[in-house]
Amino acid sequence: MAEALARPAVHRVRSVTLLRVFFRSLFLQAAWNPRGMQNLGFANAIAPALAELYPDPHQRAAAAARHLEFFNCHPYVAAAILGGAVRLEERVASGEAAPQSVSSFKSALGPPFAALGDGFFWLALRPAAALTAAVAEPFIGIWCLAVFLGLYNAAHLAARTWLFSVGYRRAEGVVDAVGRAHLASGTPLLKACAAVLAGLVVARCVLAAGLPDRPFHALLVASTIVAGTALLPKVGVTRAVYIALLLGLALGGGFF
Amino acid sequence: MIGFGHLLSLAAIAALLGGLSAVERKGAFQLMLSRPLVLATVMGWALGDVRGGLMLAVPLELLFLGGVNLGGNLPDNESLLAAALTAMLVPAGLSAHTGVDPPLAALGLALLFPLALFGRRLERAQEQRNLLLLAEAEGLAARGDPEPARVNLRGLLLPFGASAGICALAVMVAPLLARARMSADMPLVASLEGAWHAVWAVAAACAIRAIRDPRAPAFAAVAAVAAMAVALALRGVL
Repeated sequence: MAEALARPAVHRVRSVTLLRVFFRSLFLQAAWNPRGMQNLGFANAIAPALAELYPDPHQRAAAAARHLEFFNCHPYVAAAILGGAVRLEERVASGEAAPQSVSSFKSALGPPFAALGDGFFWLALRPAAALTAAVAEPFIGIWCLAVFLGLYNAAHLAARTWLFSVGYRRAEGVVDAVGRAHLASGTPLLKACAAVLAGLVVARCVLAAGLPDRPFHALLVASTIVAGTALLPKVGVTRAVYIALLLGLALGGGFF
Repeated sequence: MIGFGHLLSLAAIAALLGGLSAVERKGAFQLMLSRPLVLATVMGWALGDVRGGLMLAVPLELLFLGGVNLGGNLPDNESLLAAALTAMLVPAGLSAHTGVDPPLAALGLALLFPLALFGRRLERAQEQRNLLLLAEAEGLAARGDPEPARVNLRGLLLPFGASAGICALAVMVAPLLARARMSADMPLVASLEGAWHAVWAVAAACAIRAIRDPRAPAFAAVAAVAAMAVALALRGVL
């Protein structure tokens, strides 16, 4: 009891301040730069928490300067690191932890969380959501936008909010929490779904060219898709588009 | 033809939407509102032809589905291309009384596709310019400023301005494209339609490649064959 009384009271930031930090995290990459990458965005996002934790301007300036160090992560998953950094700054302000612990936390989690976020959001969720919309477009018209934005942002915003919240609550324990979130294990499943949806888009292209009664047209479009899939890594999208335009121009007059 | 006053108002709308999309793409929110699927459709609606916008939106989205910003590696700027292409084609289609049809879309894409590459260079230049903001923040921190990173949002100004200017310019050149579309004879129109089908085929190939999974081509092939078989059976062809 006496020991507990002797320990300094731990500073806690208010909920409204956490909301301000989270809102500012939506601008993490506003001034992305090659030297510090997301450092300006991170320092700007955490500023409301620092203002509350360090009433003394000199201490606050020192804390703010710490966050101008290099930082890079996936912009969504960075919310977990930001939440954790706020919790660690509370400990630093209370004298429970050294300032270096915040830097170590950020630099240790940035790269693995970036890889996790890139794989899940950019390479699996976005293609799957966009391809679902592309498949649905002939049937529902402009409502395919709602499908795309709804599917993507339901997962994105829920994940971003949860990551910030769990980062703040668990600090270093965020690694375990994120590990149990099945982001990495869900990625191959989403990619498989996206591949099937891409096949439906292919079917749409071939049928649109081939119906009614134009089997040779369908064959040509199917051949272009197969050749494109095989050659795209070597040719690149720009050259592939111009080759396709020239091919279409050359054959289109008498063909389509 | 669209009058000059009307063209100016369309240019202002395109500039606003194009500028906002450039900001949303990387610097703010990232809710995917600046993806071609959304941007081209919304731009088409705002300029008076939502169907025309949607016609461009799907193939553009598929073409750039694999473009990913990993660390310092920049992809082609799909948003700038989608915004400028829609800003040019919708007024051109309205002016030519054809709407955004496949020949006009193929012509516009052939003219503006390099904008995606230019947009990437522009983004690199913007990042270099952000180094000045970083130096300013470091200077403020060295002087003991308690909030040195407040310069952060100024990084959004250049992308907004550059994209807005390009989109406004795209609207202003639309009458020239409308003239080209109206003067195209039937064989050329048929050729351009063929070119648009070919672009769709490349877009489908890009979609398969975008998944970056060795199993993707096989899964896509099986799904495509199955879907075509079902569709043809339903039509009584099989």
